Amino acid sequence: MDERCRAAVQISGTVQGVGFRPFVYRTAVDAGIAGYVRNTGGAVEAAFEGPQAAIEQVLQTVRTDPPPLSTVEAVDVEWRDPTGVEGFEICDSTGKHAGGVDAPVPPDTGICEACLDDLRDPDSRYHEYWATACVDCGPRFAVVEDVPYDRARTSMAAFPLCEDCRERYETPTSRRCHAQTIGCPDCGPTLRYEIDAECVATGAECVATGTDAIARAGDALTDGSILAIKGTGGIHLVCDATDPETVGRLRARTGRPAKPFACMARSVDAIEAFAEVDNTARELLTDVRSPIVLLETTTAASWLDVVAPGLSTVGVMTPYAGLHHLLFDHVDDPVVMTSANRPGQPMCTTTESVWDRLGDVVDGVVGHDREIVARCDDSVVRVVDDTPRFVRRSRGWTPTTLPNPTGVDGESPVVLAVGPERDATVAVAGSDGVVSSQHIGAVDSPNTLAFHRDAVTHLQELTNLSPDVVACDRHPDFLTTTEAEQYAADGMAGPVAVQHHHAHAAALCAEHDVNRAIVVVADGTGYGPDGTIWGGEVLDVTYEGFERVGGLSSFGLPGGEVAIEYPARILATLLADTDRIDDRLLETGAVESRDDAAVVRQQAERGVNAPTTTSAGRYLDAVSALVGACDRRTYEGEPAQRLEGLARDGTPQPIDIPYKTRSGDRVLDVQTLVRSLAALTADASAADVAATAQHALASGLATIALDTAAERNVGAVGFTGGVAYNGAISRQLRTHVEPSDCRYLQPAAVPPGDGGIAYGQAIVATARNISVADNR
Amino acid sequence: MSDDDTVTVAHGAGTGKTRAFLEDSVVSRFAQNGAGDDLAVGLDALDDGAVHEIDDRSVVVTTDSHVVSPLSFPGGDIGRLAVAGTVNDLAVMGATEPLSLTCSLIVEAGTSVELLEDILDSMEATCEAAGCAITTGDTKVMGSGEVDGVVINTTGVGVIPQGAHVPDAGLSPGDKLVLSGAVGDHGITLLAEREGFDIDGELRSDVAPVNDAVAAALDAGTITAMKDPTRGGLATALNEMATKGAAGIVVDEPAVPVHDAVSAAGELLGIDPFDVANEGEVVFGVDAADADAVVDALQATSVGADAAVIGEVTDEHTGRVVLDTGFGRRYLSEPEGEQLPRIC
Ligand SMILES: [Fe+3]
Ligand SMILES: [Mg+2]
Ligand SMILES: [Zn+2]
Ligand SMILES: [Zn+2]
Repeated sequence: MDERCRAAVQISGTVQGVGFRPFVYRTAVDAGIAGYVRNTGGAVEAAFEGPQAAIEQVLQTVRTDPPPLSTVEAVDVEWRDPTGVEGFEICDSTGKHAGGVDAPVPPDTGICEACLDDLRDPDSRYHEYWATACVDCGPRFAVVEDVPYDRARTSMAAFPLCEDCRERYETPTSRRCHAQTIGCPDCGPTLRYEIDAECVATGAECVATGTDAIARAGDALTDGSILAIKGTGGIHLVCDATDPETVGRLRARTGRPAKPFACMARSVDAIEAFAEVDNTARELLTDVRSPIVLLETTTAASWLDVVAPGLSTVGVMTPYAGLHHLLFDHVDDPVVMTSANRPGQPMCTTTESVWDRLGDVVDGVVGHDREIVARCDDSVVRVVDDTPRFVRRSRGWTPTTLPNPTGVDGESPVVLAVGPERDATVAVAGSDGVVSSQHIGAVDSPNTLAFHRDAVTHLQELTNLSPDVVACDRHPDFLTTTEAEQYAADGMAGPVAVQHHHAHAAALCAEHDVNRAIVVVADGTGYGPDGTIWGGEVLDVTYEGFERVGGLSSFGLPGGEVAIEYPARILATLLADTDRIDDRLLETGAVESRDDAAVVRQQAERGVNAPTTTSAGRYLDAVSALVGACDRRTYEGEPAQRLEGLARDGTPQPIDIPYKTRSGDRVLDVQTLVRSLAALTADASAADVAATAQHALASGLATIALDTAAERNVGAVGFTGGVAYNGAISRQLRTHVEPSDCRYLQPAAVPPGDGGIAYGQAIVATARNISVADNR
Repeated sequence: MSDDDTVTVAHGAGTGKTRAFLEDSVVSRFAQNGAGDDLAVGLDALDDGAVHEIDDRSVVVTTDSHVVSPLSFPGGDIGRLAVAGTVNDLAVMGATEPLSLTCSLIVEAGTSVELLEDILDSMEATCEAAGCAITTGDTKVMGSGEVDGVVINTTGVGVIPQGAHVPDAGLSPGDKLVLSGAVGDHGITLLAEREGFDIDGELRSDVAPVNDAVAAALDAGTITAMKDPTRGGLATALNEMATKGAAGIVVDEPAVPVHDAVSAAGELLGIDPFDVANEGEVVFGVDAADADAVVDALQATSVGADAAVIGEVTDEHTGRVVLDTGFGRRYLSEPEGEQLPRIC
């Protein structure tokens, strides 16, 4: 079979910006094959000419051994007559991306081993160059403006290559061949250390540049300064984590009394000095995407109590940019590394905005002149019941594609999902997958709304898809709902209003490709179709719809959002003993006098500004206030997290789990349960009561779900929602379900919290298959 | 029957659902029918009153039915409310000297004559304070249970020079926003009274005629827009002004006067004083150069001691109100019936 053949090949998947063309070049040249390779739209196109066996060999390598950052979805081959070309060529890109959810751009990736070696090699052109990158690593999503992914469409376009870099860029055998983020100290972005806004405003000489800037920053951090450091997709506030006085200053200056700060340490070994690193955690910490991993702390070191007050966990990541590695040459670890933003605002992406918005927080800024096109916060992962669970799916995972099991090729509309209000992401769904955006945050201010709009536009550009349908939450007051109405007014069908917990459940089902399941959604707050606040639900779910089959009984939130801030108020609707209610209200600082406590009780009784809820999160908050774990919530999930911390030292006590009936469904009787827990506090420790409360919630909901699954002959039971970050509750649910015949679904690829809502909305809207024509 | 088939409390709460109902069912029917060429501000403007231009004058007309529970409360009663409410609607249209007020009384059989007399006394006193007279009226007595206590409808007419009226839609970028006094007093006081909450501190409704204060403001500077923040409170009034004026509003939260007792009661009940009714306040859009003069003029009036500049109008975020809390900025949304938590 030595006859000359020609194969015209289309390779789809994440194949741009990952060194795919040089890889194809090397593979073809090694095999003695002629032809060409080029980027076209979102795919790679190649022609191979030579003996058929050799071509088959090349195709095999393309399928099975592609570059690390790529994912090959399909290799389509058409055999043609040979044209007699000689040599192999890398051609320029042609064509606009045809449109699709195959992520056309890879996520931002931490520095690879080879680049790290260059960083440390005194003879390398890239020695100590903070921004060195190659085809296997470095920023992508954060610097790409549009596809196809070429330097001209990235923020690296501002940095023309020097001769040396150009040679590497053009040499197919180089690791930097067609690495769009290539740059060196001579031609690449420049680092600088600024001590005030004047450096920016007047363009005056800044204090230090390049490696000197890093040394200067290290010294400042060692001396207790608070710095902002501009990285790949955002800016961090950084300070010495081990100095309580410094961290306290950061808290005071940022107005964050208790929110846990993430840290960065130089290595896993360094982390093991203060936190427990099991195998799952180790894998995450050493993953090239370097998420923040929430770990159990192992020491009572006083610095930890300031970094993560009242918690038994701390969020830690390892260095992911060359800049971070160099920084640790000049400062001891760990350092606090938290997003540079005011509470509720998006992270700053320019040094100017740092001086403008955080000028009174920082003592210095390490900045550079490479523009951040797409802000991308760090991802956060928690190991729950030995499995990793996304708290925030962002840097390193955006914009990788998630499955859309309900999509039908050629029939399903393109869906834009705008997410909920807090912890929002947005998503664009095609029939063969869903691309979720980076973390956006709480969409209730002009700046986050602008970020939300940018994220929508950027996703549309990267996928080159224009949505037919828009989906949103059912909460009528969410700004994202208003946004969806605006998109609809501008031409999209919808908005398809997806109930919050249906979205949570549909997301879980979709990632496991299960179209029907009984799902326990234990969550904070979601608008129910009956106008009350849901959040402790057992749902019989399909992608398209759901039926509420059980959950928690309802109770009041006297004061509405104030009851979420001061959870003792919730006890006013749950406990019978008025003295005890008043004591708790007073002792937790929820009210200032006994008279005021009486007003809160009256308010609860009369239902004045006391919205009704079935929220599992609020139940845990109330118990947290009952046992003294948390008086006041200062950040999302604080009362429940502190309860979990307390419960770790406790043992569940045997109590009856009370049920009652609500329109024919079985619900956990929260009032009776909390009264039993209150009675238990007489004999049991606070830790035991906390553990009992969690255990009862998990067992009660699992029992309802399992019984319903059996009655209705449904083969899968799932668990999701914000409470699914709780290790004890997750474990309890799993151990309840596993012995049954039901398949157990738990969140893996999609966050169980509100970061997964946009994905769920996209799934539901795809399943409902509303055509634009129907809706107009 | 679903929610859509019956009128709910939300239809009358003065916010989004009310506006939708008015626009879909009321304005669409009456806005154009039979309205003459003289109509300068009509039903479709959903302003505080109508304006007819006749010869060289503008005639302002407004009407309001007053229901309140309890009928009498700290700071006032339904009589004072019925007069002040209509006088104020005329005033914020620019008619600060009412020509005529009507009074239609609907009384439940069994109401004590003494109570009714007290209410009428209060109306008389309020008319005197506002410098107006009730010139025609009607009285109906309904069976017990057919109406709750006393309902009073008042209609007001004012006559001003042609074109002198001030719409609520007149904001333009650069204007300052001036508030005549502290917000939340009426709504919080009424809620506490109605529910029997024993709340510390002096809570007292602000119900009062504001026509003198408005006249003082009009004298002191160029007023571009006016609104009385009644139902739905300051939050709703500002959102309406932003939407209608196609402008953005930035409110400096710490600058908005709120009495300590109201603020404490609001915190205790989880109710934002910005979201509840006022019956003696006015929000003004003022030409920036005149803002201080208007504040000074207001402070010299009986209702304006707390008057302040509370914000400004921008050409950004058109139709929306941004609250600058001093720590950050967020959108100020208008209350939609019961405020449902969004925190997760
Ligand atoms: Fe949620
Ligand atoms: Mg009015
Ligand atoms: Zn590399
Ligand atoms: Zn170079």
